[in-house]
Amino acid sequence: MHKKTLMAAAAFAVSAALTLTACGGGDSSGSADKPVADIATQGTTKAATVLDRPFTKPNLVLKDTRGRTFDLREETKGKPTLIYFGYTNCPDVCPLTMSNIAIARKSLPKADQDKLQVVFVTTDPERDTSAELAKWLPSAGDMSFIGLTGDFPTIQAGARQLGIGIDPPRKEKDGTVVSMHGAQVIAFSPKTDDGYVLYGEDTSPDDYAKDLPKLIKGENP
Amino acid sequence: MNRRTSLALAAAGLTATLTLAGCSSGPTPRSSSPSPSDGSSASPGSEPQLTAADGYVPKPVGDLAAGFIVITNSGGTADKLTSVTSDLSDDVTIHKTENQKMTKVTSLDIPAGGELNLERGGNHIMFMSLKRQPEEGQKVRVELHFEKTAPMKVDLPVKPINYNPARH
Repeated sequence: MHKKTLMAAAAFAVSAALTLTACGGGDSSGSADKPVADIATQGTTKAATVLDRPFTKPNLVLKDTRGRTFDLREETKGKPTLIYFGYTNCPDVCPLTMSNIAIARKSLPKADQDKLQVVFVTTDPERDTSAELAKWLPSAGDMSFIGLTGDFPTIQAGARQLGIGIDPPRKEKDGTVVSMHGAQVIAFSPKTDDGYVLYGEDTSPDDYAKDLPKLIKGENP
Repeated sequence: MNRRTSLALAAAGLTATLTLAGCSSGPTPRSSSPSPSDGSSASPGSEPQLTAADGYVPKPVGDLAAGFIVITNSGGTADKLTSVTSDLSDDVTIHKTENQKMTKVTSLDIPAGGELNLERGGNHIMFMSLKRQPEEGQKVRVELHFEKTAPMKVDLPVKPINYNPARH
């Protein structure tokens, strides 16, 4: 217990130090920064972050790409599930994330492919109708992916339960809309239905391909 | 258990850090030597010397696309990328990304002796209402406009959707 607390404190100290370095914009070659870099490397060598306290699957009832009601808990119960929050007018990270998962999924045996549920929840439901998602998701990711849309407050509340903060899309004076995607992909276990592993946007198809067989069994990657 | 906790926290800390790294108003060049007097090859006050490299456009999904490129300034004066034009779209803008949110900017800094790195997850060129669907292997011609340097024409090859050379 005592040791754990110390390590936690160290981790936060690291984050504070890195924060200041980043904001200062100065060089990071000072001796005080060196151990910081070492510890930071440790934390980023693996794509997966396994949570000590997993998230309960949010009670999201939305519309799928065919406009049918989709109850997330009911439909994905007992199935390995990846959830990502994003929007289709996103040129970079959202298609990158969907594409990486799609490529990794294709490397799995057919039986595992069928088990895996990949859920894309829009953060921009006004523009991302069921029809838009139906058009975008197969090109960005895969035909098998589930696209969900609905009321923004419902989606925002669902994301919040997973520690993902999503601001509502904001319309600029020139008519452009600024939307926001989630920072992580969350993996839910088929054994517990809890969200127990996080993946950041730097996760490669290889990282996913390596971890998916374990996630599909509900094991820790 | 202990180790896992600390790693998770370290990861959480890193996330916070990356978020806060956006607190400076401009882009974050890899080089930390914007000063021309620190022994870089350029003489202080010399004109900006820009070169563009490693550009690409991931194959677009739908009618919008992103462009990425690294612009290096070996001169002794800072410059700015102020706009981009292309025959792919009449609506091309430059964006920064902060906190998973991308917003249009009027310019991006290219520090003296440093670089402007448009890379995945960060700053990028945004093409809206595409006039055609570029395919892998094709090229997208763009013209980069700067505050001081004359416009520069660059061909950006179209790469797979998930192409990400910056990842390590």
